[in-house]
Amino acid sequence: MSNTPLDLLKLNLDEKVYVKLRGARSMTGTLQAFDSHCNIVLSDAVETVYDIVDGEMRSSERSSEMVFVRGDSVTLITTPEDEE
Amino acid sequence: MSFFGFDASGAQGPQRARGGRQQHQQRQQQQQHSQQPLDFDDTYKGYGEYAPEEEDFLNDETFGNDVEVGNNFDFGHGAAAAAPAASAAPGASAGASAAPPQQHRSYVAAAAGGVHPAAPVDSAADLKPMESLWNPAAAQAAPPAQPQGRVLSLEEVERQQRQMQQMPPQQMPPQQMPPQGYAMVPQGYAIPPQGYAIPPQGYAMPPQGYAMPPQGYAMPPQGYAMPPQGYAMPPQGYAMQQMPQQPMQQMPQQPAVPQAPVAQQPVAQAPVAQQPAAQPQLDRSASSLSQNSQSGTPGPAPMGEAELAAPVHQQMPQQMQQQQQMPQQMQQGRQRQRNREPLTPEEQKRLDIRHAKVEKILKHSGLMTPRDKDFITRYQLSQIVTEDPYNEDFYFQVYKIIQRGGVVGESNKGLIARAYLEHSGHRLGGRYKRADIALQRMQSQVEKAVTVAKERPLRKQEKELAQQQEQEGEAASGAAADSRDGVLGRISSSLNSKAPRRQLQIPAANKDALLNSLLVNDEHHARASAAAPDALMEVTESLGNVDLSQKSRVRRRSSYAFSSVDQSSVMSRSGGRKFVLSLIETVYEEVLELEANLRSGKATDVQKLWEALHINDELYEVCPFISMLSFDKGIKIMPRIFNFLEKEQKLQLLQTFFSELSHLNIIIISSYKTNPQPSEAQLKQIDVFQTVFLKIIVSFLSSSSNFIEIMGLLLHLIKNNSVSFISTSKIGLNLITVLISRAALIRQDTNRSNMLSSPEISTWNEIYDKLFTALESKIAAVFPPREYIAKVTEKSAGSAAAPQHYDQAYIWQFLASLALSGKLNHQRIIIDEVRDQIFGTLAEAGQLATAAAGPGPDAADSRYRRDKLYQDLNLFLNVMGLVARDGEISELK
Repeated sequence: MSNTPLDLLKLNLDEKVYVKLRGARSMTGTLQAFDSHCNIVLSDAVETVYDIVDGEMRSSERSSEMVFVRGDSVTLITTPEDEE
Repeated sequence: MSFFGFDASGAQGPQRARGGRQQHQQRQQQQQHSQQPLDFDDTYKGYGEYAPEEEDFLNDETFGNDVEVGNNFDFGHGAAAAAPAASAAPGASAGASAAPPQQHRSYVAAAAGGVHPAAPVDSAADLKPMESLWNPAAAQAAPPAQPQGRVLSLEEVERQQRQMQQMPPQQMPPQQMPPQGYAMVPQGYAIPPQGYAIPPQGYAMPPQGYAMPPQGYAMPPQGYAMPPQGYAMPPQGYAMQQMPQQPMQQMPQQPAVPQAPVAQQPVAQAPVAQQPAAQPQLDRSASSLSQNSQSGTPGPAPMGEAELAAPVHQQMPQQMQQQQQMPQQMQQGRQRQRNREPLTPEEQKRLDIRHAKVEKILKHSGLMTPRDKDFITRYQLSQIVTEDPYNEDFYFQVYKIIQRGGVVGESNKGLIARAYLEHSGHRLGGRYKRADIALQRMQSQVEKAVTVAKERPLRKQEKELAQQQEQEGEAASGAAADSRDGVLGRISSSLNSKAPRRQLQIPAANKDALLNSLLVNDEHHARASAAAPDALMEVTESLGNVDLSQKSRVRRRSSYAFSSVDQSSVMSRSGGRKFVLSLIETVYEEVLELEANLRSGKATDVQKLWEALHINDELYEVCPFISMLSFDKGIKIMPRIFNFLEKEQKLQLLQTFFSELSHLNIIIISSYKTNPQPSEAQLKQIDVFQTVFLKIIVSFLSSSSNFIEIMGLLLHLIKNNSVSFISTSKIGLNLITVLISRAALIRQDTNRSNMLSSPEISTWNEIYDKLFTALESKIAAVFPPREYIAKVTEKSAGSAAAPQHYDQAYIWQFLASLALSGKLNHQRIIIDEVRDQIFGTLAEAGQLATAAAGPGPDAADSRYRRDKLYQDLNLFLNVMGLVARDGEISELK
């Protein structure tokens, strides 16, 4: 059944996923839906934004109950580390 | 010398009167006598000189009081005097012999008296000898042929005798015989005189009364042959002796009776007698005597009255051989008599009744000696004496009451009931307040039962180890369960009214196989035990393929048991996370499709879904299905799956679930041992599982499962998991609670409606024992440690608005259902082990009570918590009839 890469993604529906995004962002949330463009919908998502200020990396978090992530910004989808 | 067997020695009279029993003795005496000739003069001469004889007063009765004695003793007188002489003759000896019989007047005599109401016994006033007997005229009325001259010398008599033997029939004067044949013969004494008067007949007599044996004695003087004759027919002899007149009266009327014997007598006499001339007839006579039919042949032919003689002939030998034929004989006599001088119907009737009575009495008369009777009486009396007459003679008491008040024909049910209630100990005590006794009896019975029951567990414990294996086997075989102690088997652990001892059963051969069949495939088990023992075969057959895989799985599991409880390893053993996730996806797809079909009204085929669930998938160490439940989405889909599964599939699914409970992620994360610091997400997951999956299980168990299925599930749980570990997790404890409480409910329920079969109950007891053994000494461990509670409380406190505290209700519920299903000793152990928790809870409740006393919002919360604590604690305590209130435990009222 896992003929296409997206089929693998399907397995993680309703599971926590870690999504790496362009612009030094990442999101962790429960995968609710996705499509062939890798547009994804996450619930209980926490967005982490990394920033380098004065040579130091800082991160700021922002959580949202439900979020739509446009597929063109997704670079990576995987399971969250603490889950493994 | 003596005449024709007349026993001159008076002393022998009474002896003889004692009857046939002494026959033998008599014979011996006769032999002696025969060797010692008696002097006639010594006996008869001077008859009247004997001083007042003992029983002279009976003479009147015997001989009549208004008859002139005359010269009756002169045997030389003519025919006219012959009869009186005959009567006097008995009298001569009667002074000594005839009287004693009078004293024991027998029934026979009474009967005879009945036949002849006019007989002296009945009408003693008329002590008159029978005219018919003594009066020649009367005799003439009877058949013609008068015998030869009455006055015969002894020589003449002998000569006549000889003649008779040579040409027996013709010489027989029919008329003459009767008196001898019937009346005289019995009376040994009566004969001689008469014999003197009518020698031939008198002589002829002996053989008749004589059965075979006497011949052996060969009395030289024939006169001696007489007495035994009397004994040969005791009843007859008795009757005659006691009522001498009566037979005499009969005589003339019954000529036929004597005739018959007479006819054959000469023949019979031949060997005994001195006459060698009779020799040729010897053989015939012997046979004629022994065989009734033959005996008739010589006699009747010459007789003028052949018609009469023939039947009598047969009668006589019979009488000789069966001495109890007396009544019959008498009846015949009576009939004959009737022929001659008809009785009035009234008399006849009376006679009949009387005879019927006598015959009845005679039937067994003389069967018992007085000693026997005495013994019986004593025995019966001893039986009557009882300590508790009202109970021992209960039926008599009731009978008496019924008799007293009963009206014939009226329904006496009411009486019986009343009598019963009056005498038996009914609830209100009855008239005699016997309820207390009944109560005591019952108590002692109960005591006995209890002692027996107490002894049983001891024996059971000894064999417990060995039994356990067997019991599992029994559980597997369901209805066939139960084998016996010892060589042939063993005794079921619980014997009571509901589960009585059953028939012997040889233990099933393939126990392991049966056990496995239960563990692997409980459908078979359920079917087997629910249906019939026949299904047992089916189960064993079905084992062939499952057996191996099951064994391998058991082995596999044992190697992994608790080695790793973290999810990833479990996941990897069931095919990896990806595989499990993909399975979940497949399941979702299938469920969605099925739901679509359902909505559109198409047929739903659950086969694909079933395959996707991978129940019983032997490829993986841990069933993929269990791993599916590690994911929330796997849990969440379950209700939708259950909508489509068949009942058997559900059951199988749950069996798998309970078998592999230890591998269930949710158990692991909910156990304080493996996950002492649960994350918020895990707590949430636990919550999800509880609300979703537990709900499914409970609804399934309560709606569609039967007792055996529940037992099977519990057995799966116990056999394949560490119960003590599972009980440390909230979910695990909840699952166990669900099972045993449901089982308890069914048991209680079926107590009213349909009873559980005894194998079911005993199997349940065994399973419960196993469960309890697994939990024993670890019961306190179901309480999570304080740190864990604190952690959980802290974690959940963040998400919930209301003040949080760890809800221990599930633990008390578990303990309550455990105690509910257990026996007293189980309950005791439970209390022993959780005593600290009980008192801890009480103490906590006490603290909360003081806190609740104070003001503020905390007080309300404290009050609520205190009440909750009591409520939970009482869940458990109430099962044992206790209740906790205000810091104290008291008995539940």
